[in-house]
Amino acid sequence: MRNESEVIELIKNKLNPLDVKKLRTQNLAVTLKKDELISGLNYLKAHSYIHLATISCVDWIDDNEFELVYHLFSYEDKINISVKTRIDRKESKFVTIKNIWAVAQYYERDIHDFFGVEFEGNDDMDELILENWNDIPPMRKDFNTREYVDEKYEWREYHG
Amino acid sequence: MKDKFKSSKWQEVINWAQKRSLFMLHYCTGCGAIELPPTMTSRYDMSRFGIGPAATPRQADILLITGYLSTKTLRRVIYTYEQMQDPKFVMGFGSCTINGGMYWDSYNTIKQLDKYIPVDLYIAGCMPRPEAILEGFMELKNKIETGNADGYLRYKEDYDFYKENQEKVLGEVKRRQ
Amino acid sequence: MKNMNGGNTMDKSKMTEMFFGPNHPGVPGNYGINYYYEGDTVVSAEPNAGHLHRGFEKLMEEREWIKNTPLVCRICVMEPDINEMVYAMGYEAIGEIEVPKRAQYIRSIILELARIQAHIFSIGGNSAAIGLYSAMQIGVLARDYILDIFEEITGGRVYHIYIRPGGVRHDIEDETFDKILDLLDDLENNRMPEFQKLIFENPTAQKRWKGTAVLKQEDVLRLGVTGPALRATGLEHDVRRLMPYGAYDEVDFVIPTGQDADAWTRLQLKRNEIFQSINIIRQLINNMPDGPVSVKLGNALKYKIPEGEAYVKVESSRGEYGYYMVSDGGLKPYRVHVRGTSTPLGLYGVEALLPGTRIEDVPVWAHSLGICPPEFDR
Repeated sequence: MRNESEVIELIKNKLNPLDVKKLRTQNLAVTLKKDELISGLNYLKAHSYIHLATISCVDWIDDNEFELVYHLFSYEDKINISVKTRIDRKESKFVTIKNIWAVAQYYERDIHDFFGVEFEGNDDMDELILENWNDIPPMRKDFNTREYVDEKYEWREYHG
Repeated sequence: MKDKFKSSKWQEVINWAQKRSLFMLHYCTGCGAIELPPTMTSRYDMSRFGIGPAATPRQADILLITGYLSTKTLRRVIYTYEQMQDPKFVMGFGSCTINGGMYWDSYNTIKQLDKYIPVDLYIAGCMPRPEAILEGFMELKNKIETGNADGYLRYKEDYDFYKENQEKVLGEVKRRQ
Repeated sequence: MKNMNGGNTMDKSKMTEMFFGPNHPGVPGNYGINYYYEGDTVVSAEPNAGHLHRGFEKLMEEREWIKNTPLVCRICVMEPDINEMVYAMGYEAIGEIEVPKRAQYIRSIILELARIQAHIFSIGGNSAAIGLYSAMQIGVLARDYILDIFEEITGGRVYHIYIRPGGVRHDIEDETFDKILDLLDDLENNRMPEFQKLIFENPTAQKRWKGTAVLKQEDVLRLGVTGPALRATGLEHDVRRLMPYGAYDEVDFVIPTGQDADAWTRLQLKRNEIFQSINIIRQLINNMPDGPVSVKLGNALKYKIPEGEAYVKVESSRGEYGYYMVSDGGLKPYRVHVRGTSTPLGLYGVEALLPGTRIEDVPVWAHSLGICPPEFDR
């Protein structure tokens, strides 16, 4: 059972983070380089961080990058860690983590549907939630949903 | 075609019997379906009016569109509507079927239900209370008795209009039978 | 078609495809499972999701902070209050706002009442999946009296829009607290014994539920499942104890657990949790402090918080429910990501854990694990 400062020391010594900080009680954020993410996740999983809540993706259009965030939790330390990394926006590719947590293949399929990120090693990239979508991926910041609606659907006319 | 049906005595008897026994298709399409179990169970009992649930579209009279429709569900609703036997009635539930409602700027929901399948009655609310649903059923029964609930006849007459709107939103819709 | 846990043959002439589809009375919501079966057993399955997608995360980026409160409660239809609570918690975590004590007590009372009505609805749905329809009738009736209390406090039966960033909308009077206590007495003395006789001491229903939909502990932990499905394997994990929020660190309650992880154990856990919630509400009402019910945050259309991010979670009636919120210091949220409770079970669990059950047990599997489709379709 470790507290937050001990976990921060552990991460600074054993992994090679770009940034570690404590956001508030029971909540930490760690930024790693792209190539060291898999070994970092394996290390944390072996030290009691076994619960993967979800994988999120944030579109930083001004920096021209996507940010992938992996949320981990430990039932012994009772601490949430958000492990982050950045990838390029034009050629958005990353490796899959389905060999560490098998449930991640569906989270990655969801991110592919909405942001267009490709994951090497994950063959099953069919459409999960959208159907017959023929525009740019809808959660990107340069997709304007109100213009799309004005083009495709018509509004009801009211009389009187 | 409509006048011939309205004035026949035999049609009046059929309308009288039909409005007292309606079967509703048990398909919860959207978030308005959470107020259907209180309407069907013992507090706001609806089977005292002769309305009950049916499991398959081939055995149902009423199709209730409870709330918004995404494009994926709209394709299945069109298949379901075309599998029901005549005469059939459609009721639109909530404000999402009238003009888009709460999700007016969403890229995935439709804005007017009237362009894709013919609607006989709208019930306003977000979401409507069980008393409002029962009031809607009473109004539908009045419409059946006077012969005004003719959505299914309109679908056959204006089929090109509906088909063009469906294909604009969905692409190609395969007709199975 | 994938051969997940191995069928007897991969011979297509012996397998039949079935659409346990969106238009079915046994499925909990507008959601489908396509599976192949051989004889009477399911061999391989995959989910058919996305019928309820409205694009919430994109809509939340187009509206100001306060305009999202009526939108957020429509994500999970059975229990809308947890969404409002998590959104308010995320806003207060990034902005470092402290909520007064009376507001935390009132928020916890509302969340516990929502938990009781969701459990009653779920017990009714579980019984309807095996054909015991009279349990649905009395269950929905008992739940309606709780919705009457919500209508008196907040004005709406299903969508309340009562919890907002900074506290709650307005205060509750003492007569309403007396009505809540009368309702809890009625639930404990009249309604729960009826359920006990009709559902829990019914030998036919017990035979259907015992031994079906078994999930072992290592499967549950590697998928990331929480809630009654995890507690039925013997572990005592609950977000109200692991990361306390609201007023839960000032009340006394027991977390029920079970040993055999089948549908019968999960149903008994739900009944035991109803009794614990009744106990919690009584303690909260008897020790209610005085004071204001909200922090003054200025003009509602100009809410602003500094740059930051937060991952916050609460314990819904089915497990852990979390939001990941990112703010860039502007008038609108930059990114909100919703993690529903039944995301691992509804998507990957169908592929990995469903093969091996019999066809008539597939609705029991779906209802007893608490799969709620609008949570992962958003």
